[in-house]
Amino acid sequence: MTKASLLSLFCAVGLLAQDARPKAEVVFQLTPLKGVDFTLRNSPTSRKYLIETMPGGVALLDYNNDGLLDIFLVNAGHVRDPMINPFRFDRHEPAYWNRLYRQNKDGSFTDVTEQAGLANAGDTNYGMGVAVGDYDNDGYPDIYVTNFGKNILYHNNGDGTFTDVTAKAGVAAGGWSVSAGFFDYDNDGKLDLFVTRYLDWSIEKSKTCGNEKATYCPPGEFPAISNILYHNRGDGTFEDVSVPSGIAAKKGHGLGVAFADYDGDGYTDIFVANDVTNQFLFHNNGNGTFTEMALDSGAALTNNGKMLSGMGVAFQDYDNDGLPDLLVTQLPHQPYVVYHNEGHGVFSAQELESGFGSLSGKVSGWGVGLEDFDNDGWKDAFIVQGHVFDNVESYDSSLSYREPPLLALNRNGHFEKADAGSNVPVAGRGAAFGDLNNDGWIDVVATSLGDQPQFYLNRGGKAHWLTITLHGTKSNRDGFGARVQIGNQVRFATAAGSYLSSNDKRLHFGLGSADGATVEIRWPSGIRQIVRDVKADQFIVIEESAQR
Amino acid sequence: MPREALAQLQAGVNAEKQRDLESAIADFRKATELAPASSLPFLRLGNAYMTKRDYAQAIPPLKRAVELNPASAPAHQLLGFALLAQGYAAGAIPHLDFVHEYGALGIAQLQNGQPAEAVSNLQAALAKNPSDPDLLYYLSRAGTALSAQSLDKLLSTAPNSARGHQAAGQNYFDIKMFPEAKKEYMQALALRPDLPGLRLELGQVYSANSEWDKAEEQFREETKLQPGNAEAAYRLGDALLQQGKMKEALEQLKRSDSLHPDMPETLYALGRAAAVSEPTDAEHALLRVIELEKETPLAGQAYYALAGIHRKQGKSAQATKEMQEYSRIQALNNHGSTGP
Repeated sequence: MTKASLLSLFCAVGLLAQDARPKAEVVFQLTPLKGVDFTLRNSPTSRKYLIETMPGGVALLDYNNDGLLDIFLVNAGHVRDPMINPFRFDRHEPAYWNRLYRQNKDGSFTDVTEQAGLANAGDTNYGMGVAVGDYDNDGYPDIYVTNFGKNILYHNNGDGTFTDVTAKAGVAAGGWSVSAGFFDYDNDGKLDLFVTRYLDWSIEKSKTCGNEKATYCPPGEFPAISNILYHNRGDGTFEDVSVPSGIAAKKGHGLGVAFADYDGDGYTDIFVANDVTNQFLFHNNGNGTFTEMALDSGAALTNNGKMLSGMGVAFQDYDNDGLPDLLVTQLPHQPYVVYHNEGHGVFSAQELESGFGSLSGKVSGWGVGLEDFDNDGWKDAFIVQGHVFDNVESYDSSLSYREPPLLALNRNGHFEKADAGSNVPVAGRGAAFGDLNNDGWIDVVATSLGDQPQFYLNRGGKAHWLTITLHGTKSNRDGFGARVQIGNQVRFATAAGSYLSSNDKRLHFGLGSADGATVEIRWPSGIRQIVRDVKADQFIVIEESAQR
Repeated sequence: MPREALAQLQAGVNAEKQRDLESAIADFRKATELAPASSLPFLRLGNAYMTKRDYAQAIPPLKRAVELNPASAPAHQLLGFALLAQGYAAGAIPHLDFVHEYGALGIAQLQNGQPAEAVSNLQAALAKNPSDPDLLYYLSRAGTALSAQSLDKLLSTAPNSARGHQAAGQNYFDIKMFPEAKKEYMQALALRPDLPGLRLELGQVYSANSEWDKAEEQFREETKLQPGNAEAAYRLGDALLQQGKMKEALEQLKRSDSLHPDMPETLYALGRAAAVSEPTDAEHALLRVIELEKETPLAGQAYYALAGIHRKQGKSAQATKEMQEYSRIQALNNHGSTGP
């Protein structure tokens, strides 16, 4: 059978699937959450220090294992106009703290930042993003915060408090870190850590661009820099393996990061969204080293062979062919890029075929998720938007600094614009995805500069769903890197992706009209597990079986 | 002319031959004093100053030479050049016109705000020297100025005509004021819905704003008005392509290619639209782009698109070669760029 006929066969199957499913329903509603009073204070100045326009991250995690998602929000800092040496961002002041909000049983939230030991992220640190993972497999999620300055690893003590273990762990990095994510690159059962870095930049090296209208400089004005890979030794410490692994060999302008095993070899690969540089696809060679393959595999540039301003990234299978694809957000004048995984390590840019040519092009995307918001069995896209320049309107009246988010529902692999629940324009940046109220429908928490976070609560509909928490035993406790399949839907277990943010680690599947499912899991350990006759509309925990 | 004057004139000519311009100027000046009613000493004095590139000093004796001998072509020619060099374009025009010095005359007319005449004279000069870079440069500027002048006239004399709104729309489009451009085109359409070109331009405003569905609508209407217009078919095809409507896009792009073969942009878009459904056609179109464009960025993009097709087909060696060509052309064009 030729590839073309195979393709038409897939299309036919997709059409049948659509006919069989109930009419998809999804209603987002922008809803304030009681008890969450956070403001992302980025402190814009006339000096246009580039860091000001890049924060901040958000994480959805259940830090106290009570079954309710909590929210961690990264704040930025106080930037003086101009900054005076010694450079300080006043993070000791409560207005600039990162914040942890614990969800209560009634759906309200309580600020537990101080009692959890997460106040004051360091006066020399300007906040950026957050990664969440149980790096010590003790069953409690730990938090890693990235900064311009030094990053911080907070170990979850399991009693509602965290301890800053950065020095012992050896993961402070330095310079300008952006997104980060936990994953297990060597399948040893311990989560490793990847950190993207944007530029070789400092307050001293800062400059403004534009003529009479000063604005933020493009990344090309500053030297590129390499990303960092930390290997988890398993004793609470990490080793910087950026050089021996080959990660440090490539310098770019890294922003977003996402993980998936794109070639099905059992090892998790890394995609880094780079700003005005070729994108990076680090193929995991399975021996502790990586080879950067983006250009050779077709995932480095736009379909016109041009560089893109890669910001955020989602690495999941949007067309239900079992292979993880990439959705990369970027700045205006080119659509968001979809790299469709063709198999055999090959990607093709299909932003036009997938519909993003009509959905983007004059907007700027940051946080992004591929989630099944309408539970119809197809992953949809939600993108948080807003231009980099806070004075972009004075350069180009067709563009806007503040933009509403984009919800694009997936119709058999083709995305169509839908009501995101708000047309209020914001300077959107981070976004995390998860089922905040445990109703079986995926919600969105987004951050925006100088503003309170936006909570897009999914009011749901009638379609069925299933949400799975993985419990690795031989594999890492979070099960990150597992390939989980229901029917022709596949999810790659990860909390990473989007921009600066960390998603609900639970794996959510929309089931359409099906009231049950068979779940197939390939764990990072290599163990394959099948769980049959699982009833729909429930949260389940699947523990890694002992045998292959 | 008195004998002493003739002797001074000869001395000046001899000094000129020995490239002693200061002595020559002194000798010619003495000759003008000895023969104040004779044109020739003034002409030679002016010429010596011109040789010295001292145009300001050349102008008075040359003016006197013309006054004394209004039929002297060399005097008119030199005076015209001297005046033009000093920025007195209006003053230079009659002298350059007198001697049919079309190139310089066109430049003077351009500087004097007469772009229509400038275009005509520069084209006449270019007929004799088709590759002269100065003439080509000034012709290009004259063309632009003529266009602007015509537009200004249109906008001042008939601002509320369909063409007036169209012209205003084009102006707004050029400076990226898209909402204003749309408004003008809409007003033009209200007045003359069947005016060819209007919808083509309005569609391009929508395209620039990534409003592809609206662009498609306008281009589609334009193709109804002008079914033989290859650009309208190309633009419609591209708008469809941007929306992922590959089959329809392919139809329009093929139609455009048949109306006006070998338009590189059409062929490139055709290559992209056909990449999945008709890869062989896509290959042909992209290879033709490379033939036509050689080493331009569009040729590089065509190599990139070919690599994508071949990568999907499992022809990795071929894809690698095409990526090498893509990278080479990228480097070539980046190296040659004069960006900030």
